[in-house]
Amino acid sequence: MLVEMVIDGAEVPEDGSAGDLVADLLVSVARGDQRAFAELYDLLSSRVLGLILRVLVNRAQSEEVLQEVFLEIWQSAARFAPNKGQGRTWVLTIAHRRAVDRVRASQSSSDRDVRAGIRDVGVAHDSVAEQVELSIEGERVVVALKTLPEPQREAIVLSYYGGYSQSEISALIGVPLGTVKTRMRDGLSRLRDEMGVNA
Amino acid sequence: MNENEFAELAAGHALHALSDADERRYADALAVHPEWAPTVQEDAETAAAMGDAVVPVMPPAGLRDALLAQIAVTPQSDAATDSAPRRSTQPWPRQSPEAEIAPQEHESATRPQRWSRRVFALAASVVLIVGLGITAAVVIPQLAQPASVVALEKIESAADAQQATVELDSGAEATAHWSASVGSAVLVTDGLEALDEDRTYQLWLVRGEQALPAGLFDTDAGAATALLDGAMHEGDVIAVTIEQAGGSPTGAPTTDPIIAIPTA
Repeated sequence: MLVEMVIDGAEVPEDGSAGDLVADLLVSVARGDQRAFAELYDLLSSRVLGLILRVLVNRAQSEEVLQEVFLEIWQSAARFAPNKGQGRTWVLTIAHRRAVDRVRASQSSSDRDVRAGIRDVGVAHDSVAEQVELSIEGERVVVALKTLPEPQREAIVLSYYGGYSQSEISALIGVPLGTVKTRMRDGLSRLRDEMGVNA
Repeated sequence: MNENEFAELAAGHALHALSDADERRYADALAVHPEWAPTVQEDAETAAAMGDAVVPVMPPAGLRDALLAQIAVTPQSDAATDSAPRRSTQPWPRQSPEAEIAPQEHESATRPQRWSRRVFALAASVVLIVGLGITAAVVIPQLAQPASVVALEKIESAADAQQATVELDSGAEATAHWSASVGSAVLVTDGLEALDEDRTYQLWLVRGEQALPAGLFDTDAGAATALLDGAMHEGDVIAVTIEQAGGSPTGAPTTDPIIAIPTA
């Protein structure tokens, strides 16, 4: 059975096996295809900016990082290996890494402590859940996040959406580093099971 | 390291939450145990899925234009896929001054275009930050050249004011401000090295295959605010070379550019 769903305006088979539009575009970009690059940008730029903004909060900095991300995509598209994963994952991984790098470089930990207080972990998924614009995939993630035990959810939400390192989280919530590592692994593993992600 | 311990590192890696030391342990372990790669990929897919739970935010339209202009002059990392069509889409200046007089006569498929290659390499080495709809007034402490400052204010007050910043390897910064409606461009630098008396910085407006000389400038403690001579056209590339005192005798760049900022 082939279930179709819409992600960012592109019809993608739910199992992800038949046709990876982003991967196809990346292969073209790796050959220097500027039109494919523009198409990729149109397809994913708002998603990427949303993610960066979520981590960085600052709009101007986020737009700078968005540029850095797409420039890196242009320069290193040849490193994307279609047989090793989805194009979308490759792009979002670059975006997340650059957002995290920037937040650590540009925002002192005290600023971020304050910020963490403002948008604490509980807010992280509730505010997301209120959004109606989310893709089906996004809703699935929100639902899956809610099923996690609070300590695990806290660990992965603080790291992914807050840009905090494991040692920062350890200090922030006052638990041993080893515990944070374990919660992160268990949380991510459980999230994968809940979402039915199959690699 | 056992697989269970690696699983912890892989999860932290996927969330970009590892310390530098743990990141190295992760990479070392993966190099020794390539069979653990599926765990890495699963975690990467799961983490990326969290990106889908974030509300999309539409970037400003000008950012797309700036990026497309930038990639047009940015080489890609894999030389093996360095295809001819990409190069042919990049008009860059030739070195001979006669080119302006008889552009077609000197056309040659084997023209080395060394200068332009340097520009590409240069463009790849900097991060270009493009700003649109500037709200804050630009304040330059060293207002050495009133004409350029007047021009800068005029540009900044235009509805289509734009700016782009590059950072050089040396740490120096150069910001180009321009407005197509005003038809002028100003380059503001900070941290440029001081030149000997027999050399000078020269500005160029690179348009199509021509590099139009756009004036000389000197720095004051690395800082300069320079108005480019001549009418700036949308799409020109603003470039800087170091030339002999008085500027290039040929009217064309004789050295590799140290700054190249595309406008579009």
